Amino acid sequence: MDITRRRLLGAAGALALPAALGGCGGFSTSGGSASGGEGTVSFTTWGTDAEVAGLRSAISRFEEGSGATVALNVVPYEQMFSNIDAQIQAGNPPDVFRVPYYTFGSYAGAGQLLDLSPYLESSFADRFTPQAWAAVQNGGAPFGVPHHTDTSVILYNRAMLADAGITDVPATLEDAWTWDQLAEVATTLREAMPPERYPFAYNWQGNGVTRWLSWLFQADGRFLTEDLAGPAIDSDAGRAAVEFTQSFFAQGWVPPNDTITSSTYASDTWYAQTVAMVWAGAFLVPDAEATLDFEWGATFAPQQVRGGGDFGGNALVATAGASDPELVAAFLTSVTEEESMREFCVGASLLPTRADLVEQGIEFDVRPDLSPVFVGQASVVQPEDSGQVASPDMASIITVLQDQLEAAFVGGQDVETTVTGLSEGIAAAVA
Amino acid sequence: MTSLAQAGAPAPAEPARRRPRRGRARDASPGESLAAYGFLAPNLVLLGLFVLLPLVWAVWISTQQTDGFGAGDFVGADNYARLVSDGQFWRAVVNTVLFTTLVTPTAMALGLGAAVLLDGALPGRGVIRSVLILPMAVSGVATALIGVLVFDENSGVLDGVLRALGLPDVAWQSGGAGAFASVVLVTLWWRVGFNMLIYLAALQGVGSHLHEAATLDGASAWQRFRYVTVPMVGPATFFLLVMNVIYSFQVFDIVFVMTGGGPQDATSVLVTYAYENGFVTRDQGYAAAIGVVLLLLTLAFTAVQWRTSRTRDLTE
Repeated sequence: MDITRRRLLGAAGALALPAALGGCGGFSTSGGSASGGEGTVSFTTWGTDAEVAGLRSAISRFEEGSGATVALNVVPYEQMFSNIDAQIQAGNPPDVFRVPYYTFGSYAGAGQLLDLSPYLESSFADRFTPQAWAAVQNGGAPFGVPHHTDTSVILYNRAMLADAGITDVPATLEDAWTWDQLAEVATTLREAMPPERYPFAYNWQGNGVTRWLSWLFQADGRFLTEDLAGPAIDSDAGRAAVEFTQSFFAQGWVPPNDTITSSTYASDTWYAQTVAMVWAGAFLVPDAEATLDFEWGATFAPQQVRGGGDFGGNALVATAGASDPELVAAFLTSVTEEESMREFCVGASLLPTRADLVEQGIEFDVRPDLSPVFVGQASVVQPEDSGQVASPDMASIITVLQDQLEAAFVGGQDVETTVTGLSEGIAAAVA
Repeated sequence: MTSLAQAGAPAPAEPARRRPRRGRARDASPGESLAAYGFLAPNLVLLGLFVLLPLVWAVWISTQQTDGFGAGDFVGADNYARLVSDGQFWRAVVNTVLFTTLVTPTAMALGLGAAVLLDGALPGRGVIRSVLILPMAVSGVATALIGVLVFDENSGVLDGVLRALGLPDVAWQSGGAGAFASVVLVTLWWRVGFNMLIYLAALQGVGSHLHEAATLDGASAWQRFRYVTVPMVGPATFFLLVMNVIYSFQVFDIVFVMTGGGPQDATSVLVTYAYENGFVTRDQGYAAAIGVVLLLLTLAFTAVQWRTSRTRDLTE
């Protein structure tokens, strides 16, 4: 074969061309122009089929009532925020987009979101639970609306627990296991199980590392000071949370690959019956019900000094350059009306953020018997917990949590060093 | 025609003809030049727009502190100075170099071996060629997802096989060495087919008369491979070396999906570290600086190869 430099360069050029053209794809948008026209709200989101159906229904209701139109752009989650960022940088973002609470702060803190204060009624905050409203605040002003929440409870495999002689699980929030009781259950399971099976798995993989904070909250700790300007994790509560969660690996209560950076999600480990219990959000219920061929139930997450849980879920936010702020605010008001939120949450197995719906309770379409467990668990989240997660520096704090907890869980880094590392890392992140 | 070295002699075959490295080009008429530039123009425009311009832009961003929203603050070479004292960056550099050092020669050796075997009259060679090339048709993310299924510590195929054979489990996900090995193995599975394909094409150009002459001179099978085949596929080796090193320096999808750079940065490479800085913590100036360093490393390696390779233009 006569491969000369000239042919090599030709081949390299031929290889480079599709790569260069492929690069163009990264900047494309699924729905054409992001900004809506006059009387139109452009809205970008990702979602499961059930979530999108709930959103479409809410949009129809708004369109009928207002005469405006909503241009809905549904994109895969994987490209959601690279698209949004590119659109913001290009000065062509959608009017409204959906954002997890732990990401909300980085957009609000960077001045990319619309301060909704002038466009919302003074009593608007009253429709939400305090913890939900706290999750969309930045500098004391609302920069979004809490659309729904989710929180982790314990899903358990009935047969695996029964085989270890555990037939009684907490049925009320007040009876939730303490850390000591959870340790007893885990020890009992460990002794009854073969080595390749484990008592439980925890869902802290990837950005789910914020779910580790539930242990900190249960110990009545904080990771940020009240003004969100400094670290507060160097405390007895911080040390207790690190020490207890580190013991999961040392005691063999979780599989060795239930780490922060693992590519195997905790729920998949539970699906495969490698573990008897898993911490999981309500969003998993429809999939679990459709997939699993074993009997399973749900119970409350543990408590220690107090109950605590992660404030998961998503807010809806408007971008700072929204073409018609009043129309956008009207849309955000509409999608958080009782009927729209109930329909969305019931269909998608997610939890409401409206205080009246929390009080009344809701029933999921799938496994309605589990709804009280999830709604009850969400009620233990404190506004000061969710308010910390809305920090503008949460993206950097997540990296600190990932690095330090991985070092503690996999590398055996001691508790004191870990807490010091967390504190210093958080201080640098918020500086 | 190449004159063969004496059978058994250690010196490599002397190339019969080398193209002149430098020479005065034939004078072209203005019309010809215009036509040539006309043909080149579309590619040059695309390269300028989608390769050179982003490169210059990335260098500019690397001199700023920016979260990507609005104008950044000019910080000069501060981002590069930070790299010097960043332990995670150096860990990523070491991992990238180690990954490249392991994957490049192994993929090329396996590719050449497979090509030589499948160049002969092997029963079912068409099927085997297709099986080896098939991974090329699969995206990196899909390949990595298959890798997750194979290397999962709880329910993966590989640990299941090891257990069935009475061997101890390997910590493919929770152990640093195991995780690194899993990434290397999946990359090899993905890349050997490409190497084989290029070598197979190169072998078609090696005349059978060379092997016949060597056989007549008393060369053994190994000597024919070492002193005829290997030098004659030199240009392909040069091409593959450059491409494999570039691919290895740019590895991302397999690491990102299989290990996320963990455990404890054991599989963190330059591109995953740049991604983490650019799109997770939004320190886009710092991420751009990492990207520029990666570009310089790749250019330096390619330049060294270009200057030192003795067989890149070897022809029969």
